[in-house]
Amino acid sequence: MALVRIDGDNLVVVNEGLDKLWSFKGSLTIPLANVRGATADPGIAADPKGIRAPGAHVPGLITAGTFHQEGEKVFWNVKNASKAVVVELADEEYARLVLQVDDPRATVALIENALA
Amino acid sequence: MVRAAVGLFGGRAYDGVSVDDLVSHLGLHRNSLYKTFGSKRGLYLIALRRHLADDVRPLLDALADAPDAAAVLRLITSADLGLLLLATVDRASADEEVASEVEAALAAVDRAIADALGVPADLAAALTAAALGLLLRGAPDGAATALSRQLIPPT
Repeated sequence: MALVRIDGDNLVVVNEGLDKLWSFKGSLTIPLANVRGATADPGIAADPKGIRAPGAHVPGLITAGTFHQEGEKVFWNVKNASKAVVVELADEEYARLVLQVDDPRATVALIENALA
Repeated sequence: MVRAAVGLFGGRAYDGVSVDDLVSHLGLHRNSLYKTFGSKRGLYLIALRRHLADDVRPLLDALADAPDAAAVLRLITSADLGLLLLATVDRASADEEVASEVEAALAAVDRAIADALGVPADLAAALTAAALGLLLRGAPDGAATALSRQLIPPT
């Protein structure tokens, strides 16, 4: 699970609980200027994710950590794919974040409204 | 590719179009979709603007030459305005950028009608509203004829 909030001009992602061990990133702070958009995307978990390093990928259980795919780094923290939100970034270490959140619709609205 | 998105978003409510739908209909990888458009909303806005340029713009040009109210109703009720109509009811209330695109497009239709027929702006707006209503109801022929007769009684 990830908690997503807007703090001033930043997007702050806090990776909660045990996931922290799996994904090695307690929190991420990203300037909103480098956030391109957010999309609820339950289907993304079924796609190939690339090569994991470091992190954990237990198929059907948890996808967490840094994945490398087609020259991009993607941060994953998803157990329940139905609640996955994709946050697309620019000029950041990660090309995108794939996060499980409590309320995908509300999280997408929060981020998109902060960008407007 | 954006044309295919216009078709998808014009045929189904925004929440009913998943990223899976977009990936399979647009023929691009999920990663490329995110890299190119940033988000589903980013793609939606581009599709909406494409629809306005490809489908609404030619309608405005045609309306400029409309000789009477009957022609105006005929042009609007036969145009492909699926995404504009759906955006108006489905997204404009939830998305300010969509709202301003839709508002500007409808205002342009009003202006084209006002200029072509030489009628006041509010009557032109009423004609746009009536035409869109007819379009939503499947444009029953008799209704458009009855309305245009009423507006300009036969001499």
